[in-house]
Amino acid sequence: MGLLSILRKLKSTPDQEVRILLLGLDNGGKTTLLKQLASEDISHITPTQGFNIKSVQSQGFKLNVWDIGGQRKIRPYWRNYFENTDVLIYVIDSADRKRFEETGQELAELLDEEKLSGVPVLIFANKQDLLTAAPASEIAEGLNLHTIRDRMWQIQSCSALTGEGIQEGMNWVCKSVNSKKK
Amino acid sequence: MAEMLGYIWHYVYTSFLRYWLKWLIRQATGKCELQRICSGYQQGAARTTKAEHSLRSSKNKVLRGALESSKDKLEQSVDQIIKEKRVQPQKDPMFKDCLHICLLQITGYSGLYISVEDLRKEVFSSENAKHEAMLLKLWDLLMPTVKLESRITKQWGDIGFQGDDPKTDFRGMGMLGLINLVFFSENYTEEARQVLSHANHPKLGYSYAIVGINLTEMAYSLLKSGALKPHFYNTVQSAPELWHFHQLYCYLAYEFDKFWVEEEPESIMQFNQYREKFHNLVQTHLQDPDVSLTLTVHSKN
Repeated sequence: MGLLSILRKLKSTPDQEVRILLLGLDNGGKTTLLKQLASEDISHITPTQGFNIKSVQSQGFKLNVWDIGGQRKIRPYWRNYFENTDVLIYVIDSADRKRFEETGQELAELLDEEKLSGVPVLIFANKQDLLTAAPASEIAEGLNLHTIRDRMWQIQSCSALTGEGIQEGMNWVCKSVNSKKK
Repeated sequence: MAEMLGYIWHYVYTSFLRYWLKWLIRQATGKCELQRICSGYQQGAARTTKAEHSLRSSKNKVLRGALESSKDKLEQSVDQIIKEKRVQPQKDPMFKDCLHICLLQITGYSGLYISVEDLRKEVFSSENAKHEAMLLKLWDLLMPTVKLESRITKQWGDIGFQGDDPKTDFRGMGMLGLINLVFFSENYTEEARQVLSHANHPKLGYSYAIVGINLTEMAYSLLKSGALKPHFYNTVQSAPELWHFHQLYCYLAYEFDKFWVEEEPESIMQFNQYREKFHNLVQTHLQDPDVSLTLTVHSKN
């Protein structure tokens, strides 16, 4: 590294902060995803009562990730966290076919929220490590994602357990923040 | 610089000074360090922690090896240490029993962690009849007057599971989480139902079962880090067993509820904040050499 680039690095402004909201039904894998992002141990995870928050550095951004519990009882609290959200990440358990309808309804309601209007949404089709997992294309079709016109969206298959697909998803998150700011 | 000097001092102390200092004291008192610990401290954390430190920092393989020996070989280890340290039993008749108890406690703690870890790694399975029976037992203990309509039902929410099938809620705590919940309900039935009624409060409530699983994680992490040593050294004068760990969970479940009700948090969304506060409180208790985290109500056994 040359002297100039070091100086430039020292001078560079502090990382831009990005507020990311992590939502989805209970047992979707939100907390595992959050811990993977922060490179933490994922073997002792328990159901989230309330919420967790972690900050991660990525591509010049400081990502403040809010992981809110997915239990039906606390879904009414989700709206308290909508304000100033830059990107919404919606996590789906791709192997829990019995609840595809429920997760689709929750997502549709979120996309109707005024405070989230225009906010880019990344859908993680999680748990692809399971043999019974539905492929992302099938989930996209089931959720009618192609009808979303009012915002940027992306579906990414991943396994929060193995880490596969997460980086690709986060790259899209950073890209969508960049293009929104322009 | 000061840090550097600290390192040098530490090195000099542990490799030379400690040894010579001990030799000098031994000549003066006629007793080895372990003997002085056994006669100088009351039974409990003060004594056992000192003995553990002494054995661990010993240059002698026999002494360090005693920390790894299995329960049935402990007496042999004690005899070896007595021989190695040339302790004369007739001059110090208490020493042998004292050292034996210390070693039971020290090696028992590691053994307890292994048993707990095995239960944690046992995944709850609907195909396992024992697991299923235990889950249904939990319901009957907590809700004696309400019949469970079916195995998959929204009713599970009434005892604080997230959805209509509890099996996904055990997660990283596995069977350890369920066993703790059942142990509390079975041995402290009245208290458990009282805690459940607080948890079901419309405004101040929380999810009884998943908070219980979360507190199992707290107990597990405290055990793993070694933070529970003083508690077990004070309360169990032998090798601690699984039920001692379940007892500790009961203490946490009961005390957390008390704490939560007293603090009156704004909503369940503040859970992790108050959990942290409670965790710090427990950690502070564990700093006290006389700590004993025991639930003081009348249990059935």
